[in-house]
Order: sequence, then C-alpha cells, then structure tokens
Amino acid sequence: MKCNARLKNIAASACLAAISGMVYADDTVQDIVIPSMASTYTGGSRSYMLALNDTGAVKEQAGATPAMQTAEFEPPMFSGSNAHKYLGLGTLALVVATAIAPKPAEIEDRAPTQAELDAQKSSTHAKLGRAAAALAAATVTTGLLAHWDDFHLEDGWTDPDNLHALLGTAGALAMLAAVSQAPEGGHAGTGMAGGIAMGIAIKLTW
Amino acid sequence: MSKKLKVVALLAGVLLTNGTYAQAEENFGKWLINFQRTKEVKPVTDKQYLKECGDCHFAYQPGLLPARSWEKLLTADALKNHFGDNAELDRDTLQAIHDYAVENAADKSFYKRSRKIALATAEGEAPLRIIEVRYIKRKHQDIPEKMVKGNQDVKSLSHCNKCHTQADKGVFDEDTVSIPNYPDWDD
Repeated sequence: MKCNARLKNIAASACLAAISGMVYADDTVQDIVIPSMASTYTGGSRSYMLALNDTGAVKEQAGATPAMQTAEFEPPMFSGSNAHKYLGLGTLALVVATAIAPKPAEIEDRAPTQAELDAQKSSTHAKLGRAAAALAAATVTTGLLAHWDDFHLEDGWTDPDNLHALLGTAGALAMLAAVSQAPEGGHAGTGMAGGIAMGIAIKLTW
Repeated sequence: MSKKLKVVALLAGVLLTNGTYAQAEENFGKWLINFQRTKEVKPVTDKQYLKECGDCHFAYQPGLLPARSWEKLLTADALKNHFGDNAELDRDTLQAIHDYAVENAADKSFYKRSRKIALATAEGEAPLRIIEVRYIKRKHQDIPEKMVKGNQDVKSLSHCNKCHTQADKGVFDEDTVSIPNYPDWDD
C-alpha cells in the first residue's frame, strides 16, 4: 500500500512535469509561413521594379530587411517563464497550506491500524503535501526548460540564477523526500526546509 | 496549531503591508523584506537624467553598467567625444547625472539583472559600452546578424528599445522581446 502511494506520487509528478513540457513546447512552437498567392504576387512585383531600373529599390534590397508594419506588441499571457513563476508561487502557497492544515493524531504508543494509516494518507494535510511536492517537481521542470540559458556554472554560485536553480531543486527534492517519509516523524522538518529553500530561491530572482 | 496560525497571519500581514509602500531602496535589509519585483533593472526615475540622456539616445538605466564604467563615461573630457559625438554638459548638470548614475549603478543595485551585470564586470577593465558586458553579449549571441545589423529598424544592439518593448521600464525579459520585421522570432 505504501509502495502504491509512492508510485502514485511519482506518477503525479511525472504527469505535471509532462504538462510543463507541453507548456514549453507550446511556447516555442514554430510558426510555419506558408506562401500564399498574394505573397507570390507581391514577390513578383519586385522584379518589375528592378526592370524599371529603380535604383532606390535596388539599394533597399541590398542594404537591409524591408520594414514591416507590425501591430502593437503584447507580451504573451502564457509562456514557459510565466508557467514557471505561477507554479513556484503555487508551490509556496501549498507548502503554507500543508503546514497549517489539520494533521491526523499521531500514534506513538502502539502500531497504527490499517484504518488509521489510511486515514493519515487521505487527510487534508497529506493531500496538500503531495500536491506541493508534485507542483515543486513541475516548477523545477518548467524552470529548466524555460530558463536553461540563464544558468551558467562559470558565473559561480553567487550568481542569482545559479543559486535560484540550486535552492529550488534542493527544495523540491526535500519536499519529495518529506512526502516519501510521511507519516513517520521528522518529515515535517524536511518538508519545511524544502519550503524555505524554495521561498529563498523565489526571493532571489523575484 | 493556533500558534502556527498566528505566525502565518503575521507573515501574511508583513507581506501585504510591505508591498503597498515598499520602495526599491538599495539596502539589503529593505530588499529582503521588500516584495516588489526586482527581477529586472531599476527604471530611470530621475527627470534630469531622462531628459539629458534621452534627448539623444535611449536613456540607459544606470543599473546596466558598474559604477566604474559611469565614472569613466561621465566626465567633462569623456563627453567631448561621447562615442563620436560631442555631448558636453554644464558642470552642475554633469555632476547631477554622474551622481545619479553612480548611485544606481549595477554593483550598487539589488535588482537581479544588475547583480548579474555586476558579477560579469567585477574583474578586468570597466566596459564603456553595455553590449561589451559579458552577460549582455551572451544573452544576444544566438541572434542572427541579419536581425540586428542587417535590420533597418534595429541596426545595432545598442538600440535596446527597438526590440525590448518595455526597456524604458527596465524590463528586458524574453517575453517582452519583439524584433522589428521578425515578429515570429523566438529564442
């Protein structure tokens, strides 16, 4: 049963990571420009201009890219970078929610029954903890995909992006470890350490 | 349980009240408890700097170069030949602009991109051009030349605001980049 729950956690994290990958793929999708009849016509018109010995047109061709009228630029509402940001903030919110959610009573003087173990695993605290760990894994995945070029070892660990990546990954791993340890004692400390590491990571690049 | 709730409520309170009046003061303590975004470069707030520099070119944020660079750039002699142009200023104006640039330089800023620039320029000669900063160079190395030098609406990497649509606000992230004549370009 415990193995089953762990498998579920891993599967949930993998699914979120896969979704994160899709977000990135959508963000970097190539816009294929298919030539239309209109573009063939306008392309052809240029040869007529050259035939007219329009030296101005020739200079423009050789010098630079023709200016295009573009609509006012609007930054994308949804991008890999934004997905990473919202997942990170969501993780922090879930860490706080996990910490304050009511926990099932601890049983110290005897071995818990199966019903008590099931109750612990299905408690709000446990569900929030698992969700936080899964979101943390997705945050790290989107971070690696969307910001891979902001991370350079030669800049050293004082570089804010390097430190952000290090602390964020360590925080996510600590949260996964806490979920894996639960409901045994000591998992709360690991989970909180993970949450704090992630909080500092966010602050460094906020 | 109630103790934890109190701590969380206190933290939430600090977070909410701080955000309303926090200013990006260049002080570590204030930065730590400041929840305003400092991910980019501190925007120019000085009207004189904006006017004097912005009359001829994009008013580059002081956080784009270290103080050593501004010290070299903003002297009466240096401004006589400011990248090929005479940009002389009267003594008081020059002093005010110099002081503003040096006080808000990359190595004195807690804004993330400025900190990265400060790290990249910590050693060696102080760069005089922003595009000479290792970090800035690296960020632009994948952009084909035809999109910059060969692009009549850009011409040079020094024209930051041609592609960085929110450069005047100090925002240089990829989501706000739009290269003229290449609207579909994506890094």
